[in-house]
Amino acid sequence: MRSFLTKRAYASLISLLFLIVAVFFLSRLTGDPTNLYLPVDASLDSRERFRALHGLDDPLILQFGRYLADLAVLDFGDSIRRSQPALDVVLEAFKWTLALAAITMTIVTITAIVIGSLAAFRVGGLFDRTATFFSLIGASAPDFWIAIVAIVLFSVNLGWLPTSGTGTVWHWIMPIGVLFIRPFGLILQVVRGAMITALGSAYVKTARAKGVASRPIIFVHALRNAMLPVITVIGDQAAAILNGAVVVETIFGFPGVGKLMIDSILQRDFAVVLATIMVTAFAIFVMNLLIDLAYAVLDPRIRY
Amino acid sequence: MDFRKYLYGSALALVAASPALAQDTSVTIVLNEDLEVVEPCESSRSNIGRVLQQNIAETMVELNTANGSLMPRLAESWEAVDEDTWKFTLRDGVTFSDGSTLDAADVKHSYDRAISDQIICEIGAKFFGGMTLDFNVIDDLTFEVTSDPAQPILPLLMSTLTIVPSETPFEFMQMPVGTGAYVMTERNQGQSIVLERRDDYWGEAPEVTKATYLFRSDDAVRAAMVATGEADIVPQINEVDATNPATDFAYPNSETTYVRLDTSIAPLDDVRVRKALNMAVDREAFLGTLLPQDAVIATHMVPPSTLGVNPDLKPLAFDVDGARALLAEAKADGVPVDAEITMIARLGNFPNVTEISEALTQMWGDIGLSVNLRMTEVAEWVDLYSKPFAEDRGPSMVMAQHDNNRGDPVFSMYFKYACDGLQSGTCDEGLDQMIADATAATGEDRGPKWTEVFNKIHNDLVSDVFLFHMVGFSRVSERLDFTPTIATNSELQLSQIKFK
Repeated sequence: MRSFLTKRAYASLISLLFLIVAVFFLSRLTGDPTNLYLPVDASLDSRERFRALHGLDDPLILQFGRYLADLAVLDFGDSIRRSQPALDVVLEAFKWTLALAAITMTIVTITAIVIGSLAAFRVGGLFDRTATFFSLIGASAPDFWIAIVAIVLFSVNLGWLPTSGTGTVWHWIMPIGVLFIRPFGLILQVVRGAMITALGSAYVKTARAKGVASRPIIFVHALRNAMLPVITVIGDQAAAILNGAVVVETIFGFPGVGKLMIDSILQRDFAVVLATIMVTAFAIFVMNLLIDLAYAVLDPRIRY
Repeated sequence: MDFRKYLYGSALALVAASPALAQDTSVTIVLNEDLEVVEPCESSRSNIGRVLQQNIAETMVELNTANGSLMPRLAESWEAVDEDTWKFTLRDGVTFSDGSTLDAADVKHSYDRAISDQIICEIGAKFFGGMTLDFNVIDDLTFEVTSDPAQPILPLLMSTLTIVPSETPFEFMQMPVGTGAYVMTERNQGQSIVLERRDDYWGEAPEVTKATYLFRSDDAVRAAMVATGEADIVPQINEVDATNPATDFAYPNSETTYVRLDTSIAPLDDVRVRKALNMAVDREAFLGTLLPQDAVIATHMVPPSTLGVNPDLKPLAFDVDGARALLAEAKADGVPVDAEITMIARLGNFPNVTEISEALTQMWGDIGLSVNLRMTEVAEWVDLYSKPFAEDRGPSMVMAQHDNNRGDPVFSMYFKYACDGLQSGTCDEGLDQMIADATAATGEDRGPKWTEVFNKIHNDLVSDVFLFHMVGFSRVSERLDFTPTIATNSELQLSQIKFK
């Protein structure tokens, strides 16, 4: 296991290094941030002084060398936009994204597995057809539209929930609800498909022949074997939220990492762009590791 | 049923817990973006100015945007000593929120910070470039400022300089300190900022005791927050959301939309072509369709309330045949009117910018010009709008907005029209001299000299295609007595908010 973890860490580190090089140079191809930070009528002298202050007047290769040297001591540089260490800015935003992803994916996973399994138990039945209908709608519905409609309905018309923000538990209901819909639809379909295969297998038929009750057949025998593809999809969906739920963050005023990333790219706040990429890459590395471990737990044939 | 009761109960609890509604003298204001920094010397940025300017950090002098006059704020009085020097006397007994007392050294330090190489403040870059100010502190409350070159509008410039204590380091503040009636007590990055009223403010205590600023980038959500009672003021909403006459206000936002012509390259170097471009635009057709009905057709770079504006200037009449005739005449004289002209506009610059740009391109196509529309992101647009221009550029026009709510054209005209102006598409030595004369003029001479400049640009040079003085829309809760003005685009003084 230790050697597996070491190998994965090295592989991820190499990928991350390639990513840093690519993002560092590609982001600088978009141009000089000076004109975005100073007013359009700022003098040329002010612009020169701004470039000198932020090291933007140095040759690109020198800027890159300086960045790597700082990175070696875990200094991710400063945000030009916020005049704060870039890592602090990213971690502040990332905690919101992480909370949103963790809560949403927990709810999605539990509900999609339960409903998908029950739907697979009687294929073509009313429950199956209803679950499939709504899950397909959920998987294909545009989240910005759902978000706006939810605000109009639950906040403006009914007055049940606050429109946006993060202050109370009620503020989280609509963002999580909107984020829930698409992964729920996708995961439910994968669970259903995997469970149909598992429930049709020989060991399930044997268990039924022996008179084992339906619930243990579904949730103990079949589900465990059906979980491997489901875990992969759960990982994909969680990664998508960890990379930033931009629409939800924008509409509901969640100060997460997705909107931070978009704003930083548009504002050419290079240090924040790179710090965001590294933090999210690290989070996804950890998540993939957990998925690998889950494989081993679920399938005794898998050993690292 | 139980769930419904639970929901209603919780909703009531939420309402009860909301500070905006529980305390009559608190207000909640929703801005479209978080403040990147809470630094007073960055207050000329609208989102920062709306929170900090005059609420936390005050200026020596305050501009009355209604009539262009200057009012005392931290400076009790000021007078011209000679052509280059102004003498200011500070108000006695003013304290900062950190307990220190305001004196002349604070003003000098605030200027030094604004122009410092160590932090590059927007106020310094925007208002104090191209000049040096020398401060001579006479005593704690009196000082003289000598400017090079002479600045006849130095008191007006002082309406932009936010004053901080002399102990403030040369780095951006994380917790702003000022002499204003409010102090920042809470900042949750990306979410909220809270200001609370100071008990030891030098002036009259404002009615608002606490202001909470929230940040929502979606227009519809911001507008909905006043409708649901979650907020009291949204300074900026979309026109399509401004549907409630009881809460929604249109106000001139001091932005002027125009198309800057690069008059150094043919065919735009020919005044007949520039006139034809103006005559091809049916400005009336935009009002009430792609632009709000309240927008005003522009003939100047600055808003109508600015010093020296000539109300008698009229845009060239919409005349397609006349425009075609001018182009034919120019073509007969060898002007390459068939050359492709690039029209550059900025995505997201203002509502319907793409549609308006497309409509303009079509109108110019109708008179026989070949105009290629190029929509760009803000960063690329700034590069194309500002000098140095690319050597190998072709004929081009840039659609832009310019904001001048300071009441004097000096903040606009050099940058936009002088040969060395950073965004100038024109170069005329006579105009340069006229701008210099108007800039140096004082007293009653100043207005007429600017009028001459406006006339030359509009009538003789036809340097631009002026389009519209724009309007913004705000939503204000019915419980407040507050009407947005042209100043709302850059600041939002809590002391001006009253309760009904």
